[in-house]
Amino acid sequence: MAKERGPELSHRIVLRDGREVNLRAITEADAPAIQRAFDLLSAESRYNRFLQHKKHLDPAALARGVHPRPGQDFALVATVPGPAGTDIVGAAQYVRASTADDATCEFAITLAEEWRGCGLARELLTRLLKKARCDHYAAMVGLVLADNTPMLALAHKLGFSVEPLSEGDTAVQVRCQLEPWQDSATEPGRLW
Amino acid sequence: MNRPWLSQYPPGVPAEIDIEACASLKDLLSTRCTRFAELPAYSSMGTTLSFRQLDEASRAFAAWLQKAARLQHGDRVALMLPNLLQYPVALFGILRAGLVVVNVNPLYTPRELKHQLDDSGATAIVVLENFAHTLEQVIGSTAVRTVITTQVGDLLPPFKRWLTNAVVKRVKKLVPAWQLDAAVDFRRVLSAGRALTLDEVALGHDDLAFLQYTGGTTGVAKGAMLSHGNMVANVLQVAAWIGPGMQEGAETLVIPLPLYHVFALTGALSFFSTGTQTVLVANPRDLPAFIQVLKASRPTAIIGVNTLFRALLEAPGFAELDLIGLKLAVAGGMAVQQTVAHRWKQATGVPLVEGYGLTESAPVAIANPIDIAEWSGGIGVPLPSTEAAILDVEGQPLPPGHVGEIALRGPQVMKGYWNRPEDTAQVLRAGGWMRTGDMGTMDERGSFRLTDRKKDMIVVSGFKVFPNEVEDVLALHPGVLEAAVIGVPNERAGEAVKAVVVRKDPALTEADLVAHCRLHLTGYKVPHIVEFRGEPLPKSNIGKILRRELRHAAPTQTGSPAPAGPG
Repeated sequence: MAKERGPELSHRIVLRDGREVNLRAITEADAPAIQRAFDLLSAESRYNRFLQHKKHLDPAALARGVHPRPGQDFALVATVPGPAGTDIVGAAQYVRASTADDATCEFAITLAEEWRGCGLARELLTRLLKKARCDHYAAMVGLVLADNTPMLALAHKLGFSVEPLSEGDTAVQVRCQLEPWQDSATEPGRLW
Repeated sequence: MNRPWLSQYPPGVPAEIDIEACASLKDLLSTRCTRFAELPAYSSMGTTLSFRQLDEASRAFAAWLQKAARLQHGDRVALMLPNLLQYPVALFGILRAGLVVVNVNPLYTPRELKHQLDDSGATAIVVLENFAHTLEQVIGSTAVRTVITTQVGDLLPPFKRWLTNAVVKRVKKLVPAWQLDAAVDFRRVLSAGRALTLDEVALGHDDLAFLQYTGGTTGVAKGAMLSHGNMVANVLQVAAWIGPGMQEGAETLVIPLPLYHVFALTGALSFFSTGTQTVLVANPRDLPAFIQVLKASRPTAIIGVNTLFRALLEAPGFAELDLIGLKLAVAGGMAVQQTVAHRWKQATGVPLVEGYGLTESAPVAIANPIDIAEWSGGIGVPLPSTEAAILDVEGQPLPPGHVGEIALRGPQVMKGYWNRPEDTAQVLRAGGWMRTGDMGTMDERGSFRLTDRKKDMIVVSGFKVFPNEVEDVLALHPGVLEAAVIGVPNERAGEAVKAVVVRKDPALTEADLVAHCRLHLTGYKVPHIVEFRGEPLPKSNIGKILRRELRHAAPTQTGSPAPAGPG
C-alpha cells in the first residue's frame, strides 16, 4: 500500500499562462467549494463530466467525492484564493472501476471554464496516474465523449489508448496500462 | 496539398471555382434575375413568379426594410416561413438591403424562438400568421421592433389568395389567435416599398449574409456566421458540380425540404443561379398533394432526405408517376439507407446522389459525382476549391484507409460562431481547417466515407437533436427524478429520440411527459419512445451515465410510426 499522505500537503505550480494554482488532496471541508464550482460550470462541462444533463450535484455523490477510501479512491483539487477563502478551479479523481475488479480504476477531470487550455488538466491527470500506480492499480480507464477533443488529445499524449464502446455510442473509453513501481526507491516522493 | 480526388471529377467540372466573379450573394442573385428575367423562378400552389417579378418584389421589400423600417447594414432579420413564395422574396429583400438573414424553424416553440432571437439580436422578423402566436409569447423580452406578418396565400392571384387565406384561417383553422402591436402586413410592405428607392449597399465577401443556427452538445443552438463570400462560394461550387448534367434555364427543381434548412437553402440557390424553375412544396407530409405537385411540375431534379424519398416510394400513386424527365435526385442531411437508394434507382432510373456537409460549411463540402451509376454508400469527393483530410486526435493527417476525424478547408467554411469565440476556436484550427466532429476514412483515390458519428447527437429525418437539450426539458418536469436521452434506430426516420426516465412522481405517464416536451421542443426533438425505469439510471462508479446500457438493456418498441418530422 502506498504511503498515506496528509491533506495538509499542497503543492504550488505555475501553469503555461503564468497563473499559479495549489494542488492538494481533497478534504471534507472542500464540499461547499465543490458545490460552488459545480454551480459555475457550463451545461457543456457538466455534460462532459456526467455524460448527462445535470442541474444539481447529488448530495450523496458529493459526500462520496470528499471522502475517498484510502488506497482505493483518490481526489485532487486545484485551488486559488477566492472571495470565500478558497476557490476550486479544477478537480480530478479516480475510484475503483468496479467492485469485481480491484486492478482497474476509473478517472474523471473537471475544470472551471476559464482554466482550460493552460495545462492544468495535464498536471492533474499526470498526478492521478502516479497515485494510481502507488495504489497498485494495473490500469486506469475513463469514459470520454467522442467529441471532447481536448480530453482525448490529452489522454493520447499521456499514453492512453482509445477503445470504442459499441456501435452508435457517442462516448469512448480511454485506457492506460499502469506499470507497477519496481521498488520504493523509484516511487516519487511527492505526488502533488 | 495533394488532391487525389480530382481524377474522379466528371468531365466539365472544374478543379477550382472563381469566387471573385461575384462580390456578394446579393450581386449573384441580381445578375441572375437580369439574365433569366422572363423565365419562371419560383412556383408554389400553382402560381409562378418570374425572375423579373422576384427582382421587383424583393427590391420593394428591401427598400421598405431600408427606408420605412430604417434597418441598418448588418442588422439581423429573422425569417420564420415555410416554403411559400414569400420566402424567396423576403430572403432576397433582406440580402439586398445589406441585412443578415436568421432562418427560424416556423414550428419552434416559444422557448426555442426566444433563444434564437436573443442570441442573434434580431430586430425584425418576417413570420407566417400561422406562427404569430408563438412570436407573441416572447416578443416583449426580445430586441424585435419590426414585425412583418404574411398569410399563406399572400402572393397568389386575387381570387385564389382570398380563397386560400379563408380556407387556412376559417375552414382548416390553422391560424391560432394572435395579437402583435405594430405588425405590418407583407402585402402592405410590398406596395409601400414599390414607392421607395432602394439605396444600393456595397457588400463584399466578408460581409455577413446568414446567422444559420445549429445545435450543440450544450443543447444551446449556435449561430454559424456565413458570409456573402461563403455563400457565393458554395452556390458556385454546387452549381459547378451539377453543371455538366443540367441545361441552363431549362430545368425544374422540386424542393420539399424547408428552405430554412441550410442544405435546402444553398442547394436551391445553386439551381436558381443556373436559371432553374424551383417548385416549392410547403408540406411534403401531405403525400397525395406532394404527388400531385410532382405530376404537374414534371421535375428534372429533386432535393430531399432519406426519410422523404422513402415516404415517396411507399406513397400510393408514386409508382404511376411519369418521372422520365428526372435527371438528378440529391440526398443530404442524413445517411441514405441502401434499400431506399436501391428502390429509388429501380423506380426512377436515377441514383440518389449523396452529399455531405455541415451548417458551418454553408453546407456542401463533399459529394458524389452526379454521373454515378449507382448509390455508392460513400459521401463522395471534395467539391471544387475544397480540401478534406482525415486527422488523428492530435490534429495530424492520417494516411488513406485510417479512421479519423474529417476536417475541411475551403471558401465555404464559416467565419465562426456568432459571439462565441471559444466555440469557434474549438472547430476552426490553424491554416483554415475546420474540424467536423464526424469520423470517416479517405481511400487512395480521395473518396470519403463516414464510419461513425463523433458528435453526441441524434439525427431525425435529417434534423439534429442534442440529448442535452431534451434532457434539460425533461428535468424541468416536477415528476422526473432523472432522465437520459439516446437515439435508437428507426426505419423511417433513421433514428428516433428515446427518453429513459426515472420518476419522482409514480403517477407520471408517457402522455404527460410528451405533452410537457411539446411545450418546449419542436416536434422532431420530442421523445418518440419513453421508457420508465424503477431504479437509478446505469452509471459507472465515478458517476458517468452508461448510454450503451440504456440502448441495450430494455427492449424498445418496434414498428412504431416515424417520429415527427420537422414539418
